[in-house]
Amino acid sequence: MEYVILGNGIAGVCAAETIRQLDGGGGITMVADETFTPYSRPMISMVLAGQVASDQLPIRSSSFYEDLQITAVLGNRVSEIDVDQKRVMIHSGPALHFDKLLIATGADPRPIKAEGMNLKNIFFMRTEAHIRNMLAAIPQTKKALVLGGGLVGFKAAYGLLQRGLDVTMLITSDYPLSMQVDATAGRLILDELRDYGLKVRVGISVEAFDGNGSVTGAHLSDGTRTSCDLVVVGKGVLPALSFVPRDKIDIDLGILVNEQMETSTAGIFAAGDVAECVDISRKTRWVNAIWPEAATQGRIAGINMAGRQVSYKGSLSRNVLRILNLDVMTMGLVNPPETPEYEVICAGEPRRRTYRKLVFRKNILTGAVLINAIEQGGIFMGLIQNEIPLNVPNSVLSQPSFNVKQLMI
Amino acid sequence: MKQVVVHPERCVGCMQCMAACAVAHSQTKQMHTAIMEAPLPKPRVHVGVGLYGEGFPNRCRHCNPAPCMPACLSGAIFRDTETATVLINPDTCINCASCAMACPYGVIRFHEDWVAPPGKTIAAKCDNCDERRAKGLIPACVEVCKSGALTYEEMAAAMKKKTDEIARSVSAAAMEESHVPAGLALLAAAKKAQLATYDH
Amino acid sequence: MDAIYENYTVTEDGRALLKKAENDQVETVWDRHKAQQPHCGYCETGLSCRNCIMGPCRVDPFGEGPQQGVCGADADIIVARNLARMIAAGAASHSDHGRDLVEVLLKVAEGRAPGYSIKEPGKLRSVATEYGLAVDGKDDLTLAGELADAMQEDYGTRKSSVTLLARAPEKRRAVWEKAGIIPRGIDRETSEAMHRTHMGVDNDWVSILLHAMRNALSDGWGGSMIATEVSDILFGIPQPNKSTANIGVLQEDKVNIVVHGHNPVVSETVVAACNAPKLLKLAEEKGASGINLVGVCCTGNELMMRHGLPMAGNHLMTELVLVTGAVEMMIVDYQCIMPSIGQTAACYHTKMISTSEKAKFPGMEHHEFSPENAYEKAQELVKAAVDNYSRRNKNRVAIPAIQPQEVVSGLSVEAVINALGGTPDPLIEAIKAGKIRGAVGVVGCNNPKIKHDYGHTHLTSQLIANDILVLDTGCVSVAHAKAGFKTLDALEQAGPGLKEVCGALGIPPVLHVGSCVDNVRILVLVAALANTLGCDISDLPVAGSAPEWYSEKAATIGCYFVASGVFTHLGPMPPVTGSMNVVKLLTAGLEDVVGATFAVEADPQKASRILIGHIEKKRKALGLDSREA
Repeated sequence: MEYVILGNGIAGVCAAETIRQLDGGGGITMVADETFTPYSRPMISMVLAGQVASDQLPIRSSSFYEDLQITAVLGNRVSEIDVDQKRVMIHSGPALHFDKLLIATGADPRPIKAEGMNLKNIFFMRTEAHIRNMLAAIPQTKKALVLGGGLVGFKAAYGLLQRGLDVTMLITSDYPLSMQVDATAGRLILDELRDYGLKVRVGISVEAFDGNGSVTGAHLSDGTRTSCDLVVVGKGVLPALSFVPRDKIDIDLGILVNEQMETSTAGIFAAGDVAECVDISRKTRWVNAIWPEAATQGRIAGINMAGRQVSYKGSLSRNVLRILNLDVMTMGLVNPPETPEYEVICAGEPRRRTYRKLVFRKNILTGAVLINAIEQGGIFMGLIQNEIPLNVPNSVLSQPSFNVKQLMI
Repeated sequence: MKQVVVHPERCVGCMQCMAACAVAHSQTKQMHTAIMEAPLPKPRVHVGVGLYGEGFPNRCRHCNPAPCMPACLSGAIFRDTETATVLINPDTCINCASCAMACPYGVIRFHEDWVAPPGKTIAAKCDNCDERRAKGLIPACVEVCKSGALTYEEMAAAMKKKTDEIARSVSAAAMEESHVPAGLALLAAAKKAQLATYDH
Repeated sequence: MDAIYENYTVTEDGRALLKKAENDQVETVWDRHKAQQPHCGYCETGLSCRNCIMGPCRVDPFGEGPQQGVCGADADIIVARNLARMIAAGAASHSDHGRDLVEVLLKVAEGRAPGYSIKEPGKLRSVATEYGLAVDGKDDLTLAGELADAMQEDYGTRKSSVTLLARAPEKRRAVWEKAGIIPRGIDRETSEAMHRTHMGVDNDWVSILLHAMRNALSDGWGGSMIATEVSDILFGIPQPNKSTANIGVLQEDKVNIVVHGHNPVVSETVVAACNAPKLLKLAEEKGASGINLVGVCCTGNELMMRHGLPMAGNHLMTELVLVTGAVEMMIVDYQCIMPSIGQTAACYHTKMISTSEKAKFPGMEHHEFSPENAYEKAQELVKAAVDNYSRRNKNRVAIPAIQPQEVVSGLSVEAVINALGGTPDPLIEAIKAGKIRGAVGVVGCNNPKIKHDYGHTHLTSQLIANDILVLDTGCVSVAHAKAGFKTLDALEQAGPGLKEVCGALGIPPVLHVGSCVDNVRILVLVAALANTLGCDISDLPVAGSAPEWYSEKAATIGCYFVASGVFTHLGPMPPVTGSMNVVKLLTAGLEDVVGATFAVEADPQKASRILIGHIEKKRKALGLDSREA
């Protein structure tokens, strides 16, 4: 059996390990753009912030491919998939034949419509290479602009602040992390950031950059201009699927997969940031481009590719941030529509700076935001993922004393 | 292999297990000096309160597969090949709390610890007292529990005892009597009624 | 947003202040109660013992771990010893309170207590007569000295029975004689309780508990009774008056002073100081329109009973009163003063003053009161309070806009008998006729284990609806006051019989009898009723209830009520469930010993059924008409 895996992010890595566990003899080939040893992508922001050294990034040993007898085709991107012939064409090198194919090419930073994007010192923050380049540029720069209040923008702003730059964050929504948290939590986070010295401007975006080779300023949507000599664009990611034949493999924002992580073409699977499955809490197809999803999806895909059938109910967005004096944990459907189908319970102890927002469908938890006191968050994850009907009043989960015992009746 | 077995109905909430666990994970391993250490040693077992004021010793189950392991961003969580204990490497832990987000039981805590680099907050959880067991001791929490809420036995033996208990309990005569000592049943009912005044 | 704390109390002012506390980031007793969860089951069941350092020991209630302490004490002994020590502590507290009053009486006799005087020479004489003193031809001060001496004898080792025990019906005293629990001396019984519970002394659990009852009786018919009688002598027998209660009694434009604690020896002097013309003038100069003295807890009760002084709150409200930010000074003496309130006050401008060498607290300035200097010290303190008015931080002041609730107070036994026309006969007739089914003393504290004031108010509304007269003391009296039970309007909530009788007498269906030591007024009343009817107290259709008790004193009061033949209901469970033998004795066995028992039930609805059932049962036994429960 020939297995070809496109991508060496955590989805591809977990898939490869799983396949090797179940199929000792099959041939596994991995094609990937990045040549760095498989590493923890979420940790790159900690390298930027100086919290970890870059040699702590690898999440597998440098002999990962040899140890698992994987043929690694690195520094290469996919150009085309020939579904009928079961071949993958890559940029440089012979085409690869597959019996089972996994597309785990991840997602690329979403570009923005602004002039001057090609000026030096304008960065995305997705790969360890981006961070390396940023760190090289930082000593010559003073004033940074971060576009986007999402996870990437948030972490970039924090990291640049740690490096001593004057940082302004520009976000189009009213508060940071608007995809993850609600207004109350968002305001708390905004206050925390501002108290720490970060300048944040809401409801604003960039139309153009100016500069002479390197960026020197940005023209904003309110008509003003602000000077800057380093920019990080964190405006989300787009699944990397330009090479996917749309007539053979169904795509939406991401590659559509079923509960076995298989695409509309049998034998071709997708997992990770490139894949789009059903979101358990949203109850609709969604791309949840987060690390733990990629890891799980890769593993599930691997099991199915190796011939054992398992089902994956669906993905779930979740995130935990520990920044400054604030811990923020979010999961599932945090901003439900205001219909009677959903019950929202908010509880907080302002004195302890704790806040909990819980979203229920009847007596099934479907979303949660926790500010501080996050240790019990994993219990909520389990309840949401497994859609467990509670046999205690919903409000029990909102109390500070909540712990797993209170679910045992 | 023996393991720690929890019998929730026996927990009286005295928290001796927490104290013993913290002492067992201290530098000096004695109560009166442990409480003077910096950083202060912390328990890895956590007595939570139930809905009726009852106690419950919540500890890591060393799940297999363990949800915390793939969730760990830095690969700091691993399984000891001999004891099957799930452990966290304090040097590579990056204190991101992804493990806490994945743990279905809420047993992971974050604090400074003498086993970690000074000043570094790390994720900490039950380590099955592997160090003590290697010396022929039993887990600290079990050693101090007087009510039988924490025992150290083969899971198969514990299951057999439970099965026998249930088998006996379905006999007509046994169904008449309660398995909870009368005084405790009285106290539990009183605590329920006390808490229920808050429902009005 | 759902606020976790809004559910803690049934009172409107409580909820408003909890919200302010949350906003002001002030920790409350409820927060600390939560942090203690789960409580240790060994201690809850009474199965832990720290009496010696062969221990500390625990008995495993599940029967597998240790079943005896190191000394060999089993569950029955450990539970009984622990209960006996609780009762000893409660008795000691009340008795010490009584002792301090006796010392003031003595100093008044010696002319060394400026400001204090004999307000009720009549009562002085009648009590002195009870003590066997000759009263004819003696002046008040000489008699006061002799009475003080005689009362001090009650505290010691020389007597075989505390004097005022004679007030109890003969049949009751015979019961005590038979059970071997005649209280001999006030301090003596407490001291012996500590002796008996030392390792290796009394190891018969029944014997321990019999002594505990004797100890409780030495408080009920001894220390507390002396406290109430001497307080009446020195400060006046309470007469019916109108007052107000709830946080609305604080006034934003006045200097607010709160007295907290128990002994009127201190609080009476503050009343006087707050009326001093020169201090009132000073207040005006500082921009305040007056000096507003209010009380909380028992000392507040004492002042309301005698002077109609308003009350701001009960036990669980003591921190919240400070949270208004409008209190210039809180003056405390002893008992039930949480050591947290110094830190609560530190969030505001409030000065906290301790006055008793026996009772010092973190965050309080200590100003020692003695009979020699009390009235003078009080003036100094009130002046300091007036000076403190300008330090009020207007941004942190918010007195909930709640109308002070009107309250009828001052129903001492004398006042009740007076209202009845001079004898208890009208009350007895009303009971015989069934218009009033019986009476319940609803007494005691607050406890965060029970929703604040819910236990009290819900129980009482059921009792009065069933034509049962309610008498209240202590923290319960504030709960009842705030709920409006002590006005004539409350008659609308009373059953038809109770409404008719109380209406005719012009009294509310719930009578404020006083502070916690004043529970003895209930003893005096039931003794008087029993004596009139020629029966024992245990025959009467009466009961006691402490729906939200917390303190050792309350345990002692409950015990002396039961020992005196009054069936007593408790809301929160005492730490006795570790021994079913003890439980059975308290809830059933005592019937054969003292003709009364305890019952425990946290749900006030169920508790009301238990109490009503008991009263009807007693009616039936007396040959009166009775209703099926």
